[in-house]
Amino acid sequence: MNTIKKYILSLGLIIPAILFGQVDRSIRPAAAKAPAINIKDSEVFTTSNGITVILSENHKLPKISFNMVMSATPMTEGSKAGLSSITGELILSGTTNRSKDQLDKEKDYIGADLSADKESLFLSCLTKHIDKGLDLMSDVLIRANFPQSEFDRIKNQTVSSLLSTKSSPESMANNAESKANFPKGHPYSEVMTEESLNNISLDDVKKYYKLIFTPTGSYLVIVGDITKAQATELVEKYFSKWSGDNIYNQEMTPSSKQSGNRVIFIKKPGAVQSVINVTFPLNVKPGDKDQLPLTVLNDIFGGGGFGTRLMQNLREDKAYTYGCYSGLNINAYGSSLSASGNFRNDVTDSAITQILFELDKITNGYVSDDELNLTKMVMAGNFARSLERPQTIARFALNIIKYKLPKDYYQTYLKRLESISKEDVLLMAQKYFTAKNCNIIVVGNEEVLSKLKQFDADGIVEVWDAFGEPIKETKKADITKEQLIEKYILATTQTTSIKNASKKIKKLKAFEEVAEVTIPQAPFPISSTRIWQTPNTEAAKIEAQGMVLQKSYFDGSFGATTSMQTGKKELTKEEIAAKGKSTGLLPELNYATSGMKYELIGIENLEGKEVYVLKLHDGNSESFDYFDTKTFMKVKSVKMEKTDDKMMEITSTYTEFKEVNGILFPFKMAIIQDEMSFNIKVISFTFKDKVDLKTFK
Amino acid sequence: MKKIILLGCISFSSLVSFSQKKIEYVEYDLPNGIHVILHEEHSTPIVAVSVLYHVGSKNEKAERTGFAHFFEHLLFEGTTNIGRGEYSELVEKNGGALNANTSQDRTYYYEILPSNQLELGIWLESERMLHAKVENTGIETQRSVVKEEKRQRVDNQPYASFIPEIFKRMFTVHPYNWVPIGSMEHLDAAQEADYVNFYRTFYVPANSTISIAGDINIAETKKFVEKYFASIPKGEAINLYRDVENLSDEAFLAKYKVAKSKFDLTNFNHLKDLEAKKVVDYYASKASVIPRPTKTNETPKSVLKDTIYDNIQLPALFIAYRFPEQTNPDFPALEMLNEVLSGGSSSRMNKTIVEKKQMANYAFSFAYGLEDAGMGIFAAIASKDISLDSIQVEIDKQIELIKKELISQEEFEKVRNQFENQFVSSNASIAGVCENLADNYVYFGNANRVNNQLDSYMKVTREDILRVANKYLTQNARIILEYLPKPEIETETVPKN
Repeated sequence: MNTIKKYILSLGLIIPAILFGQVDRSIRPAAAKAPAINIKDSEVFTTSNGITVILSENHKLPKISFNMVMSATPMTEGSKAGLSSITGELILSGTTNRSKDQLDKEKDYIGADLSADKESLFLSCLTKHIDKGLDLMSDVLIRANFPQSEFDRIKNQTVSSLLSTKSSPESMANNAESKANFPKGHPYSEVMTEESLNNISLDDVKKYYKLIFTPTGSYLVIVGDITKAQATELVEKYFSKWSGDNIYNQEMTPSSKQSGNRVIFIKKPGAVQSVINVTFPLNVKPGDKDQLPLTVLNDIFGGGGFGTRLMQNLREDKAYTYGCYSGLNINAYGSSLSASGNFRNDVTDSAITQILFELDKITNGYVSDDELNLTKMVMAGNFARSLERPQTIARFALNIIKYKLPKDYYQTYLKRLESISKEDVLLMAQKYFTAKNCNIIVVGNEEVLSKLKQFDADGIVEVWDAFGEPIKETKKADITKEQLIEKYILATTQTTSIKNASKKIKKLKAFEEVAEVTIPQAPFPISSTRIWQTPNTEAAKIEAQGMVLQKSYFDGSFGATTSMQTGKKELTKEEIAAKGKSTGLLPELNYATSGMKYELIGIENLEGKEVYVLKLHDGNSESFDYFDTKTFMKVKSVKMEKTDDKMMEITSTYTEFKEVNGILFPFKMAIIQDEMSFNIKVISFTFKDKVDLKTFK
Repeated sequence: MKKIILLGCISFSSLVSFSQKKIEYVEYDLPNGIHVILHEEHSTPIVAVSVLYHVGSKNEKAERTGFAHFFEHLLFEGTTNIGRGEYSELVEKNGGALNANTSQDRTYYYEILPSNQLELGIWLESERMLHAKVENTGIETQRSVVKEEKRQRVDNQPYASFIPEIFKRMFTVHPYNWVPIGSMEHLDAAQEADYVNFYRTFYVPANSTISIAGDINIAETKKFVEKYFASIPKGEAINLYRDVENLSDEAFLAKYKVAKSKFDLTNFNHLKDLEAKKVVDYYASKASVIPRPTKTNETPKSVLKDTIYDNIQLPALFIAYRFPEQTNPDFPALEMLNEVLSGGSSSRMNKTIVEKKQMANYAFSFAYGLEDAGMGIFAAIASKDISLDSIQVEIDKQIELIKKELISQEEFEKVRNQFENQFVSSNASIAGVCENLADNYVYFGNANRVNNQLDSYMKVTREDILRVANKYLTQNARIILEYLPKPEIETETVPKN
């Protein structure tokens, strides 16, 4: 047991002389002697099957709670986003011993709270019912059986709840925040949609549960009216038979820093207020030494009470809102800051201006002594008051173990807090805060949209749906698909008729392209060589430091791909057939005869440019080509390939078109495939009479 | 293996012997009419200081609704001795937290402080009672803030208007007709004088209850209460005091025929000047008159069905019955009836409407108990493509069933256990105990209900539940609201940027 004295500094006011019956109300009462603060140590012990038990004894009320928390990392769910939360909802759907009805009945009978989520199972009940409560809890933990009927019901119900997301501006803003702050594939970026929900099977749920819910590495937090001896016996009795796999663990892609402010708008018809959320990722983890000073900074900024910069400016001074707060979310696998509030429609833009102003201001100067002292006092007070709850003590113990904090982390909390200076705070602001690289999310009435453009670095507001997916507005095209192809051919070949274009192309028999490839993850230079010979012989290879990483070829009738990891793989019949449909230096010249199916979808907005969208179907895969409506050049191409049960999407963007032998070729390309991105810069592009496939086979 | 079997035989009867400690407290009245409740408990070095003013939206005039809640905001703006914005700062910088809330029946303010700041908390609350700043600057700011609060909590939240919509239809005579958030037009139309009058009428000692709980010493706390609260003038003398502070010399003289200078505010109750003392005594003897509405017996005369279009995706159904006031002996039985229908996942509404028939995403009900009247509300948010009519049929089946048959012995015991658990949990924090003491004193005239509240539920029999079901769940006299999505506003393409 440790004692911390004087956690609150006295105000140092003069103690008034009290005369009987006479009160000078202008004299503010001074503080009495500061009470001592005790943080009772929790008991920690482990079980033979790997559970770390944390016990915080407290006999004030005849109640106990047991919280079983898993230590797996979150999982990327991809096309099955929502799997973990659906599993969490289904955990209490019955066991091999008890139907759901039976379980519900027995749980309610003792007035207990038994709840579950994707990574924990919680029980709270009166002390006298603890045996029954633990009987139910352990039954669920060990024998949850996920019946089909409940799975179907929860899925149906979730479809309905997903619908109601569209009427909750906060949910919409949260979805957008997840997607904006974390990279694709990061578990924190994933948002369940009706489509991803449909992809989830009962089998997935069972697998997920088995993978994540395992005693190895789990924590059991016990709080309340129980002694250590009793706890030890109960844990042994109810949880020693639980067994499972090793801890699930996956690597996380960190958030990358964006450049410039990005405005994301989500439509909420009929809204009278806009939900504004200015947010950005932070590179900080629980227990980092920056966490405490960063928390002080955030509390001064908008995380504290009424006195924060955001609250004073936007509520007290301007009365734009009922409340404007900033939240610091420090999580093990990704952190973020968000400043948010609800603002009436006509002040939406002014509110953003003020939030950005405050973000900028706090990185540009010291906070005042008053602000710093007040915030430190508030935090010390919050800390002291939080100790009333036995759950707090247990949480401290859990955090120390989970995040490998020093054993006296909370004992020294107030001392560390006290020592934070305004220099420390400014340092935190400059290290972590930004008014220039934010995601500015606005959920609101369409009437506010036109005022948002000014905040976006490139002037283009992205419009997303309720689930964080970009909304594509497609307009009808003003030309036919044949006209588009013709215009593209003429533009690329810089001719005025198809006849001349064909003539020009026919002269060109073969080429070789050498390019430099950069991959953000790879520190060494990579080069690529691509060759082509009429009508459809082609090959490519990628080399790094003298080694060939990957090569592929197609000689018109056969081909193969060889990679360092997977070895040689011959092209399938379907792949060969597809290649046959895309022949020639300019395959578009042959669309009429090659059997390529294509349709013109319409005109869309692509990063501020209007583009024609052409959908292609070559029998094996689908792809989309995007043509600039002014220059008719192909600026982007998205290819969707189905491999086994997975969809792979390859996006290529083309820029810096240069003329070679009278034809325009892109000299810069960016290719994004799954989580990988490549930037390609063409070094040389030469036309030849013929090429040699030998080194590509 | 052997060890486990052995353990299985050990009974944990020893655990049962722990039971909840009784909440001890002292209570008394100050000469000026303030009721004081003090509870000493040392487990954490914190203290909760609160004042309950027995004024809520039901005390408002029909053309000035929203005032009680508005004052909850305004009274953080400062006092004669506390500058604008300083009130919360004083609490926060001394390690405390503060807030307030308003219902139809009362307004409750509290601070939770480190226990060495007890005197500060008492001083702050006494300042708020005696001479808060009720002035245009603060009124203007808080008016905008309250409007934003309404937009955020009511207008922009799906289904959130169902409470005001039901109250409006249930009570046409009693001021429960409107809810605390009130009308923004009324707040706009009000003048500074309206606000000042509200303060002078309702923020007076006779209308308040102080509750202090936590790491305190009773004798010392009584001294602080004496110093800061007993010194607040009694009866109408409090408004005389406020006039000394706020009126000009001329205006004061014209109103009271005595010069303002003769009043010493630091010793107002024991003035040396006899002429002034006479005036103080006269007003102190004039009791504060708190306007309170008369209870009404109004109930719906028939089935009143209405449709409300909201910014929602899933339709919802709300059915409301008139219940009695919360102090009515029938009320505990109604609360238990409500628990049978919707308390926990094994409840009847959840099992049938949500799980078995899958007609609703959520089905819930609650017994809304207020000082002058009550209400029972049954609601369901429809699953996709389910009609509200079919949901109503199911809810009605459940209502008919509970009116027809005694609940099972097992359900009965379950509900009793659920209430026991809720009761134990309700006193988990010092702030909770503090508020419960004040509420129980004001509404039930019995602060000790924090200890014996459970008795009133344990007395209820299965027959009582059947009886109240038949008495109050009147199928031919109720309000039914259907919430439907607003017809889709044709969304044109996003303007080009």
